[in-house]
Amino acid sequence: MTSREDILARLRARLNRSEANAAAARAALEATLAAKAIGPRPAIDTQKSALAGRLIEKSLAQSSTVDCVASLAEAPAAVARYLATNGLPAQAVVWPALAALDWAGVGLAIQARGAVDADRVGITGCFCAIAETGTLMLCSGPATPATVSLLPETHIALVPASRIVPAMEEAFALARAELGALPRAVNFVSGPSRTGDIEQTIVLGAHGPSRVHLLLIEGA
Amino acid sequence: MKSRAHRFKENAAASLANPVLQANLRTAKGKFVDKRAIAIKELDDFEATREAAKDIRNRVLEHLDLWLEKFEEVACARGAKVLWAKDGEEVCRLVVEIGKQHGVKKAVKSKSMLSEEAGLNQALEAAGIRPVETDLGEYILQINDNEPPSHIIAPVVHKSLDEVADLFAKTHKTPRKTDIPALTREAREVLREHFLSAEMGISGGNFLIAETGSVALVTNEGNGRMVTTLPRVHVVITGIEKVIPTLEDLATLMRLLPRSATGQSISNYVSLLTGVKAAGESDGPEHLYFILVDSGRAGLVGSEFQDMLRCIRCGACMNHCPVYQTIGGQAYGWGYPGPMGSVLTPLYTGLENALDLPHAATLCNQCGVVCPVKIPLPDLLRRLREKQLENHLRPWFERMALKAWAWVAERPSLYALATRFGVRYLAWLAGGQKSIPLLGIAPGWTQGRDFPAPEGKTFRELYRARSR
Ligand code: SF4
Repeated sequence: MTSREDILARLRARLNRSEANAAAARAALEATLAAKAIGPRPAIDTQKSALAGRLIEKSLAQSSTVDCVASLAEAPAAVARYLATNGLPAQAVVWPALAALDWAGVGLAIQARGAVDADRVGITGCFCAIAETGTLMLCSGPATPATVSLLPETHIALVPASRIVPAMEEAFALARAELGALPRAVNFVSGPSRTGDIEQTIVLGAHGPSRVHLLLIEGA
Repeated sequence: MKSRAHRFKENAAASLANPVLQANLRTAKGKFVDKRAIAIKELDDFEATREAAKDIRNRVLEHLDLWLEKFEEVACARGAKVLWAKDGEEVCRLVVEIGKQHGVKKAVKSKSMLSEEAGLNQALEAAGIRPVETDLGEYILQINDNEPPSHIIAPVVHKSLDEVADLFAKTHKTPRKTDIPALTREAREVLREHFLSAEMGISGGNFLIAETGSVALVTNEGNGRMVTTLPRVHVVITGIEKVIPTLEDLATLMRLLPRSATGQSISNYVSLLTGVKAAGESDGPEHLYFILVDSGRAGLVGSEFQDMLRCIRCGACMNHCPVYQTIGGQAYGWGYPGPMGSVLTPLYTGLENALDLPHAATLCNQCGVVCPVKIPLPDLLRRLREKQLENHLRPWFERMALKAWAWVAERPSLYALATRFGVRYLAWLAGGQKSIPLLGIAPGWTQGRDFPAPEGKTFRELYRARSR
C-alpha cells in the first residue's frame, strides 16, 4: 500500500467514511467551494477617496512612503524626483508591462525585465491595492516578474486609484473575474521587509526591499 | 529532531538556573502580548472572527479525506506533484530523492516546522545536499551548531544581542558588531548568495487552499518569497491538516494569524503559490512538489484531541503562558513549546515520552482565551493527564496519594479534620510569618519560591463563621 492510500485509508476509517455518506459529503464540499462565504470583517468606508485615504494611512503605518500624481504620464517624473531625493541612481529595472511609459524623457535609464541581484531599484505596478491593511497585490507573469519587487533594495509601486479595493475578499473576486485562475505567484506586500528576530527589535530590510514607495495615480 | 521532552524537569531546572536565559526571557516578556492586545481591537468583532476561523478549520477536519483529495486534484491540474509521507523518515527520503533527481547541491529553507520534526537537515547533509536556513532566527540557530528553537515564530527569543554578535563574528569571520541593523545587514548579504545559488527551495506552508491548489506562505523577512521564486525546484512540506476551502477563508484566517502572532495587522508578505513557472516567465520554479505529512495527525482525526488540529501555529498560547515565560521554549524538549507543545508533543511522540508536559501548566486558561481558533488547550491537557492515569503511566506513589486523597475527600468530616490539622500545622511552621521559606515534606516546592502561609483557619471554617 502506498503512503497516500495508507493515510487516506486511516482517515476514512476514523471518519466512518462509506460509499453512502461520501456522496453527501462531497456535495457539501462542492457547495462550500461554490459559496465562497465571507467571514466577519471590519467595516470600511468604500467611497473612492476614503479607500485611497485608508490605503495611504495604513501604508505609512507599515513604514512605506507615499506620493500622489494626477495621471500615469506624470509617473516617470515623480519616480525620478524620488530617486534624486533619496540619493539613488537614475536607473531602474521595471516591469515589462510598464516599459511603454516615457522613462527616457525624464532621464531615467530603464531596463524592462526581471530583476537580478545587482539592480538597486525595481519599479512595478500592482494588480490592485487593499485599503484595509495597506497592502499591494502583485501577480506574477511574463510582463510582471516577481523578482522586481523582491531583489532590489528599493521598490516603487505605481498604484492606480481605480484599483484600490476594500479588502482581500474584493481582491480575490477581482482576480477571479479578470484572470480566471490564479497566476503562479500572488504576492501581497505590506511595507518593506523586516525582522524582529534579534531581541524583538524591528529592523527594515531583511531579505526583501528596505524601502517601499507607493505612487498613487489619481486619474488612473 | 530527537525529542528531549522526557527530561522536562531537568531541562526546566536548568533554564531556571541560567541567569542569561532568565534575563533574555525578561526582556522578551510581554512584547507580543501588548502588541496583540492593540491589534485585535482593529477588528470590529474579534470573537465572531475567532468563531468563523474555528468553523473553517472544523469544516475541513470533519471531511479531511475528501478535502485532501480535492486539494491534490486541483494542485496537480496546475502542474504540481503531490506526494504523501507517513512520517518524518519518509519526508527525509522523499526530499533527498527529489534533490538527487534534480542534481541539487544546496537547498535554501524557509521556516518549516515539519522539517524540524523530521530532522530533515541532517538527512540532507548525509546525502551531500547543503541545507541553509534563511529565516534570520533559524539561521542563527543553525550556525550555533543546530541549536533547537525556543519559540515557533521567534525561534531565538531566548538569545541576547551579545550572543548573536559573538556568533556572527565567529561564523562570518567579520569584526564583532553589536548594532542590530548591522547584524541584520550582514545576514542579508551572506544569505543573498545562498538564495542566488541554491537549486532547491524548501518551505513549510501556513495553509493549503483547496479551491486553487495553492500554498499560502506568511513571512516578514521575505525569505519565503526568495525560496519560492529563485531556485528551480520548490518543495512544500506541510501537515495534512493544513487544508482550508477557499480564498475567502484565507482572508478570514489572515485577519487572525498575524495579529495573534506578532500583533501585526498583516504580515509583510503573504504569498500564494500555485503551480509552476509559466511559458515566458523569467522567474519561479520549474518543479513544484507538495509533501503532505501525517506523522501522527491522522490518528487525532475523529478523536477527543481533534480540536488540536485546528492550530494555525501563531504562538499566542505560549506568549501568554506563565510557565513558558518562566522557563523558555527549549525546556519543552521538542519543536513545539508552550501549551500547544504540551498537547502536541505527547500526542505525536508518545504519551510515555513526554510525561511531564501535560502537567507543565497551571490550567489558568490564558492560552484558551487567546487562541484564535478556540482550541480548549486546558481541557486537552487535562484529558492527557487522565490518559496517563488510564494507561498506568503515573508513578505508584502518585496513584496511591490520589487514591488516599479521594478516600478522605469522600468523607466530609474526616476531610474537614484533616484540613483543619493541615492549616494549623502550616501556620505553626510559618511561626507568624506570611510565608514558609522551606517546606520539609515538599522541598521541591520551596526551592524557587516561598510557600504562602495559611492564616490559621480553613475556608470552610471561615465560611461557616461568616454565614452565621
Ligand atoms: S494552539 Fe492556538 S494559540 Fe497556540 S499556536 Fe495554535 S492556534 Fe496559536
